[in-house]
Amino acid sequence: MRTKLHAARAALVMVGLALAVLAATLFAGPAVAAEEKVLHVYNWSEYVPQSVLDRFTKETGIKVVYTTYESNEAMYAKIKLLKGVGYDVIVPSTYFISMMRDDGLLAKIDKTRLKNFKNLSPKVLDQPFDPGNEYSVPYMWGSSGLMVNKKVVDPASITSWNDLNRPEFAGKVILSDDQRDSLGVALKALGYSVNSTKEAEIKAAYDWLKKLLPAVRVFDVTASKQAFISEEVAAGLIWNGDAYIAASENKNLVYVYPKEGVPLWVDSLAIPVGAKHKDNAHKFIDFLLRPEVAKECVEEYNYSTPNVATQKILAPELAKSRITSPSDADLKNAEFTNSVGNALEIYEKYWEMLKTGS
Amino acid sequence: MTQRRPFRTASIAVVWLWLGLFALLPNLGLLLVTFLERGESDFVSLVFTWDNYARLADPVFIRILGESLWLAAASTLVCLLIGYPFAYAVATARRGLRPWLLLLVVIPFWTNSLIRTYALIIILKSQGLASDVLLALGLVNEPVSFMYGDFAVFTGLTYTLLPFMILPLYASIEKLDKRLLDAAKDLGASSLRAFWHVTLPLTLPGIVAGCMLVFLPSLGCFYIPEILGGAKSMLIGNFIKNQFLVARDWPLGAAASTIMTALLVLMIIGYWLSNRRVALRERKGADTGAATAGRTPDGMHGEGEAGGDGMAHGARGRA
Amino acid sequence: MKLRTLRTCLVWLVYAFLYVPILVVIVYSFNDARYTTEWKGFTLKWYSALAANGPLVDAALNSLSVATLAATIATVLGTLAAICIRRYRFPGRKVLHGCIYVLTVSPDIVMGISLLIFFIAMGVQLGFWTLLVAHVTLALPFVTVTVLARLAEFDEQLIEAARDLGASEWRAFRHVLLPLAAPAVAAGWLLSFTLSMDDVLVSFFVTGPTFEVLPLRVYSMVRLGVKPDINALSAVMFTVTIVLVLLAQTLTRTRRK
Repeated sequence: MRTKLHAARAALVMVGLALAVLAATLFAGPAVAAEEKVLHVYNWSEYVPQSVLDRFTKETGIKVVYTTYESNEAMYAKIKLLKGVGYDVIVPSTYFISMMRDDGLLAKIDKTRLKNFKNLSPKVLDQPFDPGNEYSVPYMWGSSGLMVNKKVVDPASITSWNDLNRPEFAGKVILSDDQRDSLGVALKALGYSVNSTKEAEIKAAYDWLKKLLPAVRVFDVTASKQAFISEEVAAGLIWNGDAYIAASENKNLVYVYPKEGVPLWVDSLAIPVGAKHKDNAHKFIDFLLRPEVAKECVEEYNYSTPNVATQKILAPELAKSRITSPSDADLKNAEFTNSVGNALEIYEKYWEMLKTGS
Repeated sequence: MTQRRPFRTASIAVVWLWLGLFALLPNLGLLLVTFLERGESDFVSLVFTWDNYARLADPVFIRILGESLWLAAASTLVCLLIGYPFAYAVATARRGLRPWLLLLVVIPFWTNSLIRTYALIIILKSQGLASDVLLALGLVNEPVSFMYGDFAVFTGLTYTLLPFMILPLYASIEKLDKRLLDAAKDLGASSLRAFWHVTLPLTLPGIVAGCMLVFLPSLGCFYIPEILGGAKSMLIGNFIKNQFLVARDWPLGAAASTIMTALLVLMIIGYWLSNRRVALRERKGADTGAATAGRTPDGMHGEGEAGGDGMAHGARGRA
Repeated sequence: MKLRTLRTCLVWLVYAFLYVPILVVIVYSFNDARYTTEWKGFTLKWYSALAANGPLVDAALNSLSVATLAATIATVLGTLAAICIRRYRFPGRKVLHGCIYVLTVSPDIVMGISLLIFFIAMGVQLGFWTLLVAHVTLALPFVTVTVLARLAEFDEQLIEAARDLGASEWRAFRHVLLPLAAPAVAAGWLLSFTLSMDDVLVSFFVTGPTFEVLPLRVYSMVRLGVKPDINALSAVMFTVTIVLVLLAQTLTRTRRK
């Protein structure tokens, strides 16, 4: 009995100590120092090649701690809950910049500290989601275009989003599982803006998609290039970077810029308002704006670069490809996706209706 | 029991603390959110409303819920049909072999599920492995694709959920007393009758546990049906995720989650209640001869058991 | 006898079903293509890429450490919960039992966000410990349900006998209940470890800027394309596990001899 009591007491003391240590670590705040040589980057996996990160660390001595997220929406929810504290650089897409800016989650970027800012193309700057680029610096951009398999139809005859309705594509169409992307394409097909907030227009887009639905085989989540390469689908929506890879794998695939215009997206670098290493963040952003660095990044993924100086030194296959380096004519009616505010509920409602077949 | 029982008190305290803090509290918070309104600048605004539940009394949502429940039930059935014989075989294997067989079941699942799903795509796609094998065997004349259909979805779901069926089943089947089966055989029962009247009732707790651990989480397993099925329909899992992340309508998402949870808990309670009725009835008529192995209906665990235990009584009575 | 061959056949078939995709993963780790679903040729470059990819390996090690610890704690707590629910009467017992089921049904997004809000309200720093707490909470109900099923037919008389002979609750637990529940406890540990290694959404919300786990990193690759260096990592992890299992098996066998 007595030994048992001792044992119990010893156990209790140990548990108590453990809890105390746990509490200490849990509630310990971060060590405060004049900006330490560390940078917390929050981005998609390997969106910045490791070699670039290593070079940055070697040059500046700043250690890059890189954590990842899988979607803008999840990142937005987390940053908002954390009130912008914890991360130093984030990479939101297009309209998330305006949302986060309006929520007061972004810090102003001091462009005087970015010597390489001048490399950026004016075509990508000063967009409605961030006028004057006060809160974001473009990193990579791309388009969501139409890809067709020339074994099924002659690509020259495909000029419009409405061509997806062609009988040759029956049961072999792929759309995006992102509601803004797919509804955006439908809006474009009908001549409206991808950022429409009018219920009548969104409903028309829903009807357009509903009409197309029997022909749709897949709403892509992760593997549209695989679906095109193995010819499970013959036509549909795809991001240009994926399209480049798919086209190089399967010579039958052709990327088309429909005349109504394509939706565009851009991923930008931003600094959360509670970032503790804003100085390092600026250095990092400036580093990424260097032509040779941006070149390394963009060649890794075959998307388009907003950096004019990089475009000049881009690998010839990428520079000549209409997929990654579209001409002005290709982008004639192209639009960047912007925030639609409360109209998002309308998009969500029709998307649910589409998916449940009602 | 007037003596102090430190183990009992400590256990209850620890369990209560953990579940109270990390399960009860957050879920009560969630319940609260279902009655609030969507916020403009914040996620929720402190305005009371019934609106969220009202909006869910809508054929679209009911269809989403119905389809998700059907998919979950069907995959649970598939897992059960495959998992039970397998778990039985492992549980009755040579004693020294059993832990290793079990370990071998789980090891594939320590590979990331997305990578495994991509592997499934490689197998199921047009001109994929399955297609090549069938062509080589001469069973088909041209490449065939299994992707983007029900077959792919069920394969993917079964593949992800199988260990959650096998492991609880194994744990329950393993304690089956072989002597009971021998006794049944001695009394003249065929293998089938012995299985139906002895094995099955006695392993029923394991079956229910396995089914619960597959059915309940499978409702949240929407990623795999999306990738393999082509995302042509919406499941409750991504409806809820969409509400929280895309539409940013937390109260609606919380309400949907609460309705789903309530529905499932009601099903479990319903199942438990029906078993209790069977058990009570059986116990009343069980005084004549049935082997109730000295089980006293003491206050310790006679009533108030849900799930596994409730059925045990019923099962015992049925044997 | 025929039933036995049928059973062996089934066992082999199920193992084949479970392992063929893993073999595909391993084979494609030697694939000479940047993305993972078309075979282009044999190469070892992804293994060297893996060796150079420090953050990926770190994420894997992080996941392993959290999973091991979380599985162990969840097994202990889950077993205790099962015992409490099964054997003791105390206020709130039914509520606790209900909580277990609610946890199993709870969608990941709900759990992730609610835990994050809880941690923020408590002023707790996000990272290893918050991840641990979240994973334990996630896995606990699976252990409890499994152990409860095992204890379902449990003969209370055994415990009564032990108590009559003077054993305390703790000794009765340790020497009677635990050995009887052992397979379920082990099964519970395995399930918890599996859950923890693959959890994405809950982990996403509760982890911090300095602690990256493997499933997050992998799912995040989806946007830009999953490269075969993940296959290489999976192949390495798989091989190491199999080797450890074989090692353990030979060691226990020699010990028994």
